Amino acid sequence: MDILRITIWLLVLSVGLLPQRASRADEEPAIGPRETVELFERRVRPVLVERCVKCHGPKKQESGLRLDSREAILRGGDSGPAAVPKKPGESLLVEAVKQTGDFKMPPDKPLEADAIAAIVRWVEDGLPWPNSGATGASGEDAAKAHWAFQPVVRPEPPDVNDKIWPKTGVDQFVLSRLESQQLLPAPKADPVMLIRRATFDLIGLPPTPEEVLAFEEAFQVDADEAWRGLIDRLLESPHYGERQGRYWLDVARYADNKGYVFFEQKEFPWAWTYRDWVVRAFNEDVPYDRFVTLQLAADQANVDPADLAAMGFLTLGPRFSNNTHDILDDRIDVVTRGLLGLTVTCARCHDHKFDPIPQADYYSLYGVFRSSREPTLRPLLTAVPDTDQSREFAVGLQERIDKLESFIATQREDLMLGSRKRAAEYLLAAHKQRNHPTTEDFMLLTDKGAIIPAMLRRWEAYLKTARRQKDPVWTVWFRYSDLPDDEFAERAKEVHANAGRGLLPVGAESSAGTGRSARPAVNPLVAAAFSGEPPKSMDDVAKVYGELLAKVDTDWQTLLKKDAQATRLEEDSAEALRQVLYGAGSPPMVPQELGWGFLDLLPDRPTQGEFKTLLGEVETFSTSGAGVPARAMVLVDSAVSYDPVIFQRGNPNREGTPVPRQFLKLFSPGNRAPFETGSGRIDLARAIVDPKNPLTARVFVNRIWQQHFGTGLVETASDFGLRSSTPSHPKLLDWLASEFIASGWSTKKLHRLIMTTSSYRQSSVASAAATEQAMLVDSANRLLWKFPRRRLGFEAMRDSHLAVSGTLDRTLGGGPQNVLSGYNGRRTIYGFVDRMDLPGLMRTFDFPEPAATSPRRDVTTVPQQALFFLNHSFVAETAGRVLRRPDVTGLTDPSERIERIHRILFGRSPDDDELVLAGQFLNRSDKEPATQTAWKYGYGGVDEETKRVATFAELTHWTGTRWQAGPTLPDAKLGWVFHDRSGGHPASSDDRCFVLRWTAPVSGEFEVSGKLAHRPEPGNGVRGRIVSSEHGVLGEWKVDQSEADTPVAKVTIKAGETIDFVVDWQGHITHDEFEWPVVISQLTENRGKAQWDSNRDFRGATSDPWTDYVHALLMTNEFVFLE
Amino acid sequence: MLSRSGTGFGMLGLAGLLQSEQASAADSVNLLAPKPTHFEAKAKRVVHLFMNGGPSQVDTFDYKPELEKRHGQPMPDGNLRTERLTGGLMKSPFKFRPRGESGLLVSELFEKTGEFIDDMAIIRSMHAEVPNHEPSLMLMNCGDGRLPRPSFGAWATYGLGTENQNLPAFIAMCPGGYPIVSTRNWRSAFLPGTCQGTYIDTKNTEVTKLIENIRNGRLTLTEQRRQLDLVRAFNERHAARRNDPQLESRIESFELAFRMQSEATDAFDISGEPKHIQEDYGAGTNGRQLLITRRLIERGVRFIQVWSGAGQPWDNHSGLEQSHRDLAMSWDQPIAAFLRDLKQRGLLETTLVQWSGEFGRTPVAEKPALNGRDHNHYGFTVWLAGGGVKGGQAYGSTDDFGFRAVENPVSVHDLHATMLHLLGMDHKRLTYRYAGRDFRLTDVHGNVVEELVS
Repeated sequence: MDILRITIWLLVLSVGLLPQRASRADEEPAIGPRETVELFERRVRPVLVERCVKCHGPKKQESGLRLDSREAILRGGDSGPAAVPKKPGESLLVEAVKQTGDFKMPPDKPLEADAIAAIVRWVEDGLPWPNSGATGASGEDAAKAHWAFQPVVRPEPPDVNDKIWPKTGVDQFVLSRLESQQLLPAPKADPVMLIRRATFDLIGLPPTPEEVLAFEEAFQVDADEAWRGLIDRLLESPHYGERQGRYWLDVARYADNKGYVFFEQKEFPWAWTYRDWVVRAFNEDVPYDRFVTLQLAADQANVDPADLAAMGFLTLGPRFSNNTHDILDDRIDVVTRGLLGLTVTCARCHDHKFDPIPQADYYSLYGVFRSSREPTLRPLLTAVPDTDQSREFAVGLQERIDKLESFIATQREDLMLGSRKRAAEYLLAAHKQRNHPTTEDFMLLTDKGAIIPAMLRRWEAYLKTARRQKDPVWTVWFRYSDLPDDEFAERAKEVHANAGRGLLPVGAESSAGTGRSARPAVNPLVAAAFSGEPPKSMDDVAKVYGELLAKVDTDWQTLLKKDAQATRLEEDSAEALRQVLYGAGSPPMVPQELGWGFLDLLPDRPTQGEFKTLLGEVETFSTSGAGVPARAMVLVDSAVSYDPVIFQRGNPNREGTPVPRQFLKLFSPGNRAPFETGSGRIDLARAIVDPKNPLTARVFVNRIWQQHFGTGLVETASDFGLRSSTPSHPKLLDWLASEFIASGWSTKKLHRLIMTTSSYRQSSVASAAATEQAMLVDSANRLLWKFPRRRLGFEAMRDSHLAVSGTLDRTLGGGPQNVLSGYNGRRTIYGFVDRMDLPGLMRTFDFPEPAATSPRRDVTTVPQQALFFLNHSFVAETAGRVLRRPDVTGLTDPSERIERIHRILFGRSPDDDELVLAGQFLNRSDKEPATQTAWKYGYGGVDEETKRVATFAELTHWTGTRWQAGPTLPDAKLGWVFHDRSGGHPASSDDRCFVLRWTAPVSGEFEVSGKLAHRPEPGNGVRGRIVSSEHGVLGEWKVDQSEADTPVAKVTIKAGETIDFVVDWQGHITHDEFEWPVVISQLTENRGKAQWDSNRDFRGATSDPWTDYVHALLMTNEFVFLE
Repeated sequence: MLSRSGTGFGMLGLAGLLQSEQASAADSVNLLAPKPTHFEAKAKRVVHLFMNGGPSQVDTFDYKPELEKRHGQPMPDGNLRTERLTGGLMKSPFKFRPRGESGLLVSELFEKTGEFIDDMAIIRSMHAEVPNHEPSLMLMNCGDGRLPRPSFGAWATYGLGTENQNLPAFIAMCPGGYPIVSTRNWRSAFLPGTCQGTYIDTKNTEVTKLIENIRNGRLTLTEQRRQLDLVRAFNERHAARRNDPQLESRIESFELAFRMQSEATDAFDISGEPKHIQEDYGAGTNGRQLLITRRLIERGVRFIQVWSGAGQPWDNHSGLEQSHRDLAMSWDQPIAAFLRDLKQRGLLETTLVQWSGEFGRTPVAEKPALNGRDHNHYGFTVWLAGGGVKGGQAYGSTDDFGFRAVENPVSVHDLHATMLHLLGMDHKRLTYRYAGRDFRLTDVHGNVVEELVS
């Protein structure tokens, strides 16, 4: 960090030596006449340095303010500019050092009178500051010079020495850099390598053996033609959109649920409609500029309703327990990092430290998204056919919506009424809060009827604005509220006495000559109301205000009865008071929409409960049930746009300067116009896809490059700012970006442009000599002296299993699937993405946490991945399915089978060594230990008359860890019965008990030990019995959240006799999982003790050498790496 | 590109400058390799005993006689800005007595744990940011109440690596399901996914249910070794002309995984522990969790979080006396046994033990039942022991009622900075470049509390 800071600092300093910008005509001169400069240097600068900069300088910026440069002072801090040139009366700095206003500085000891006078004089002179501009302007200059902010200009591909290798402009750029380092590209890749590379790159699946053979043949005839044909075929495949779409979903931080939320369904009901839209958009090669526009503002782009689904891009982010500001922050982040490669959210609390993104810009975008909301009922994607069923559905839905809406309307009325009627209480509460830090943004619960914290915040904010604007209604209020509590009664008399003379404030003389009006205006009605006895406490003051507001309210209601069209009270002073209760933005005027922050206004549990129920009914009705039509996760513009202000330090309770909704300053210095259309989303979209925008095309072509080569030309794919990594081939990036725009923003053409190059068609293996040389200058292969080897990501890894097993389900689209348990043939992109709890398997394989937009997948190598390949039933299941493919089962000759399997998995034939290895493995001689075969895993019942196990059948489905009746648990017929290594579960019937059967292989004397344990909480426990086919019941134990030792003392057993460990459900099926490891020991004198240990001996489906062999091939590097 | 394994941690600032937004493939391979610390570490690992829901400080380690005097009376400042409505002050139903040489007062709830008071630093002046569980859990675990940030354990794993590649570096144990906000408590956020805590449901006793894919149901270890030898033969032939560390590391990861099958089984199997040890820890779930914890510590696991249970067990808005008694009962003996065991094995010196909730509870009773306490983030107690902590002291204090931290307040960021310091890490230098800036656990906050360091 420290080194970094110093570096940046040096950078800033060195750039600072560049010639300064010419001053604009409307700016104050930075350097004044000689005498004023002297005044500054001799009498102002020392004061600033000694008394101010410690807290307002490079190390600390109290209240966001620095006083160490003219720019910093003009920029100011949380409360706005610190000084206005030539206007000391409007300068906070002057007010602070004079200690006449809210700020009294320095806090320890006031400045000497002559120092204050010097500062006033210096402000009057226009703040001359020699050498000013050194830091402020240089940062901007550095930004101006930054490569990514320059317009994209199409460079000419450079000349190269080798005229044969380059096939396209891309190759000239690549080769030029290689030649400059005396490096050579790698040889051409062979056709098998090429078709695997292209097929995985474009559709995320391996090529079939037939496709490989056909390509090899065509390649012999005309390599270039075959290659182009292959790319065309793959780009036309409907699976192209699935592959390309999944990359985009990483950027879009796609998930099917919301993260932690309180009031609503945890899942997004229609997230998949966005996912399917993305897939379709790539398949149809929707131009990227339109692709972006639809995702930001499809609601305003005059589209087919099906395209409304595009807006999931904005709405499918995490919901942060419904914190408005964080939700909007996420949207700003996905738009700016995802589309522009800019880290705009760094400017949430302060100006961006490195990039030219002022805090104001963040709030300009904040305003755009704050002015957009999600409708409770989302629009349909297609017209619903008019049937009885659909009409019935519409009626049912409308009923529920009406109920919800009428509830909201009633609550809003109550809120407004309460806020008006209890103005005095809110005022007093706001007064008591005044010296506390502003209320934190958290959920407080109240009783019904209590004053509401969020409404209190509205009053607090209102008063703050009133103070700043010197609202005549509140002059008296502030005069009194500034008095300390313990001196109130005494000092109130003074204030009261002054009030008669026009309310001159105490010490007002000192503000004379500052250019401000010395006599604050007072609303005459307020003045009159306070003309009686002086108040004894703020309670009295609040009471007077409360009564005054109540009277005005009564007058207003009376007027409305007479004239329903009335828009104001006649008398100005009364109207001013009415505005406190009814004016736009006044505390009681809660917006009508169920929009941002509305819920905070219902902080009592019963109301929240009622709201939750009614909302839940709408959500459940509209999203669940068969044949419910799909809807789009849209945003719409709010009826009333939100006018943003800067939140000082990112704190929404500290409102600062208003800013327009507009695009980033970076792109349009000087001629920036506020957005005009509603929220401004459509204007934002247009600004982003403007071909003149230097970032949009660069960022996207870099993402595509990253997909093909593993690393982008710019490594930091979502950060193109000043701290981004330097592009490896800057001109190539610009060339691609301009080709991309010129092609009409066609993604498919971009793939062709990249893939038809010699650069892409290199082998991933370079000669030893070439490698040695290249590693010296470019060990990371940034210059592409060979094709970079990449490991398949999670989706391609899993999908390739499905493909080679011959059971890939090629269905496109639809609701989310459970693809992680069982053997679901759907592609991984259709799996449920759980933002709340991303499954361990997906994390293990570097699936990005969908908490925020993801620039690039991590590639980690951890033993948990290997454990998955070794032990998860999915991989063994794939192996089994490969062997059951018709083109494999038919082959009886082992070497033909091996040949075929290699072709399916690797696209090539095995070599002689591999055939030998396979042969050795398949002819294995070791046998499983005999002890294991003594055990059987089944279910059955005990005949209670004969006390023998009357029925017994083995369980046939092996899950990888358990024996059970079928692939799902509970099984439709046999219910919950299963066996695992340590125990299991009975079914809910006396004839489907858990039965672990041991068949004695020899005769002799035996004893049994074991421990039956039942741990789950509710339920009635289980009963375990040991039953011999000869001797009947040998022991019986009941456990219920307890455990019992289960010994059987010496017993004589004949070979072939069975000992059954039977567990039944005790007539109650909940929580009957138990553990019962047992050991049967033969009691012999001479030999060592023979033991059968149910835990040690436990085994699943009998292993088969062929399955184990294919399983091994599936684990090889060749199968999971892409070359 | 600098390879992280070859770079001292002192160079991280420079490495950070050059490092890309995401670690490169070669870096990630070595991600979990042990790394040097910024300066000499006192603690090598952390055990966080998480009393989720928020234990009451005035009923455990922060005795307030004023509550007895003023039982039933309102707080002088009026209604507290906590989550719910509260009534008058509520005296502790539990007796306190001085313990150890330091004579610090400990409530009867932690009678046995109190034996170790001279090893413990009781921080009585903790404060958090808001009185709601979710953000406070995030703050305590990840240093930020709202935004997705990596957890302490993920940072520790990222910064220090792990000495045992056969086990996860960061393990979170919680019996019966997740605490609220679930896996976010041990998330890796933008750090690589392998830094994420591995969750283990300690209600189970069978190792196959504790770690995913740890056993093969079909093959014996002998059969599997033979299969793995075949994979290895194929992989070595494949790697021979390729000279690529990615390939080598994947081959190695299979060998690690193979060994892990035995090692992990062993780590979680407490049946071989001597009977007196098992008895000392007690038969309950917490005893089992802590005994497993000790076994994991011995095997070099870096960060272990042990939770009280699913949901928020300590959140006793009503019926606090009985609930706190039951919960403390389930923890007191196991904690004492754990500390004793670590001391005897010489492990406490290098193991930093943290006991905390996400916040504390109010000194006033909560309405309407008036027999429980509301959330309190203004002041609460956390204790640290071992790992270079200066024991036998109470640091900081709350006001006369135990409500607000007044003397030497310690923020959660300060706590994190101090704990990282004990691990040999400068919290300002443990950074990760993401989304255009360098992030750290303490964001822009945090001061090391030197008084807590021995």
